[in-house]
Amino acid sequence: MLSMLLVGLIAGMSLPLSAQAADEELLQKVDKLYKEIETLKGSVKKVEDKSIGRWLTIGGDYRFRYDYLSGRTKPFTDVNATFNNAQSQMQSNFFSASASGAPVNGYSAAQWAGALSQMMTFSQQMAQVKTYNQANAFLGANQALLGSLQNFAVQVPSYKPENATLYTNRLGLDLHAKATKDVTVNTRLVMYKVFGSQDDQAVTNGNSAPYFADRVGVFDGTLGHVPSNSYLDVDRAYATWSNIADQPLWFSVGRRPSTNGAPSNLRLNNERPGNGGTPSLLVDYAFDGMTLGYAPDIEMLPGAYAKVCYGRGFESGFRSTPTNSVADTDMLGIAVIPVDTDPLRVWLQWNRGFNIFDAPSMSNTYFGNTAPKTNLGDIDWWGAGAMSTLKKVGPGDLNFFTDAALSVTHPNSNVSSQFGFQGLMTGAFFNPEAPTSKTGWAVSAGVRYDLPSKTKLGFEYNHGSKNWITFAPAADDMWTSKVGTRGNVYEGYVIQELNLKPISSYFSKTFFRVGYQFYDFEYTGSNNWVGAPVKISDVKGQMMTTTPLEYAHNVYATFEVHF
Amino acid sequence: MKKILSAVVMAALLVFTSLAVVTTASAEDVKMVGVISKIEMAADGKSATATLKDGKSGESVTIIITDDLTLDKFKDKRIVEGDEIRCKFEKAGGKNSSKIFKKTAGC
Repeated sequence: MLSMLLVGLIAGMSLPLSAQAADEELLQKVDKLYKEIETLKGSVKKVEDKSIGRWLTIGGDYRFRYDYLSGRTKPFTDVNATFNNAQSQMQSNFFSASASGAPVNGYSAAQWAGALSQMMTFSQQMAQVKTYNQANAFLGANQALLGSLQNFAVQVPSYKPENATLYTNRLGLDLHAKATKDVTVNTRLVMYKVFGSQDDQAVTNGNSAPYFADRVGVFDGTLGHVPSNSYLDVDRAYATWSNIADQPLWFSVGRRPSTNGAPSNLRLNNERPGNGGTPSLLVDYAFDGMTLGYAPDIEMLPGAYAKVCYGRGFESGFRSTPTNSVADTDMLGIAVIPVDTDPLRVWLQWNRGFNIFDAPSMSNTYFGNTAPKTNLGDIDWWGAGAMSTLKKVGPGDLNFFTDAALSVTHPNSNVSSQFGFQGLMTGAFFNPEAPTSKTGWAVSAGVRYDLPSKTKLGFEYNHGSKNWITFAPAADDMWTSKVGTRGNVYEGYVIQELNLKPISSYFSKTFFRVGYQFYDFEYTGSNNWVGAPVKISDVKGQMMTTTPLEYAHNVYATFEVHF
Repeated sequence: MKKILSAVVMAALLVFTSLAVVTTASAEDVKMVGVISKIEMAADGKSATATLKDGKSGESVTIIITDDLTLDKFKDKRIVEGDEIRCKFEKAGGKNSSKIFKKTAGC
């Protein structure tokens, strides 16, 4: 009994000792675990700090588009076809006369050889003509040859072009990188091609005279905006330095966000362009340039900002060389946006294009490889517009906009020899006109009603006057940039977004868009600054470089995914 | 009499000055650029609090937002956590009330 008591006592005394040891061990373990957690937290922070998601955002869009295109042309004389016809006919007659030893069409082989030689001399001398006065002198000296050229005229009667099924693929990849504090780099890569083709022939009228100057071929400012091939091109790449001197001041340089500006975001179902972009009525062109912007903190003017923009439209290379007399083409603009909120966005814009070239550099067009050959003068643009979103107007939200613009040309005395001595909005082919300033105007208005079912119903109208010229060849229209139309364009569309949960980003969405455009042309030369417009009803077989279109329809449907 | 008048005027000036200082101190406008670390919307959707990490001091500042323009941007995710914000807020009664709240400008 005693021994049992003793054992119990010893056991009782030893229990606290073992418990104390266990506590100490536990504490050590906790301390070790705490240190490990701290180390892990540090590692996680390091990983987070270096994680790609902290500094790089990737997004983009895919679009499948179907187009039905139709229209009606006016009869005209195809200049390019006429010259080609003259050359091939003369060559053919020369060879026939040489082979048979007898005259062909009344002329011997030697006479046909002389005519061919005369044609070549004519072409070479024509290319040397620079000014309006030189053009008149040249035409006066070549009256006989010009008269005989009429014998080879290729007259194109009125016809109804149609493409019942034009399918296109467009893929865009957007990268937004936070490089350093206050400095970001934005990039957009785009591929835009026609189904079953690796060129732009389907939208430039193939081997016939194109319909519009902005759809003769794909060039620097329209690459990725007019279907061409499956190459992934750099549509945008620019760096922005913000918060300069701790002020709401920024400097941005690179290939600019100067396409798809407001209010085209409504029709395209894009987010608002923000501080980037320009009014789509005035500029839709992929510019390389720079911007200096300022967004002051004014409580009365929420979202207000202003910026000075500069862009280069054409780089001519070395100057003062024996052959290069073409100056660089530049654009300068000032944008003032006094208010930029959902209920109201107002924009005021002035642009000047300096040393406007006669044709951009393009390859494999109906006119062969084109390039700027002369500078025709300057153009001023003035614009003012507003857009608004009113919430809960009936069951949905109402978006609407109105926009107005002026274009004023300042031609120099130059004429374009590659376009038959036409000047800046002056003259006709082989019929030059003394340089005079031309003023054009345009208006645009539209609505979009957004229903809770994610159905969006839109209608837009725009009108351009006889001498209206804009700088929007990269606009997302298949026939021609509708805002550059000299006449009326009506467009209605329906967007249906699918009610699917966004995954890749807050703004990811999938939608269908079905629309219809009707172009009612009142004058020729929409989106062309070379040559004077001609009233459509007065087009009766004149010599022209592009096919005059009287009216055009475009029914389109898209399936689009923004991610 | 003049001494009494002078004393009263001085006292009045002192009180006015003190009040002015107190008023200024109680409603101070602060400008800041910082990254949003947290956004909390009120249940009724009529206000929100945003916590910003001051770009200069590194301190966290909580700001109350009540204007519809900014609240709409929160709801539409046009302003989200991680965005850098330029803001002006009124510091009064221990609360920071937003007067201007927008993403830092640039394009």
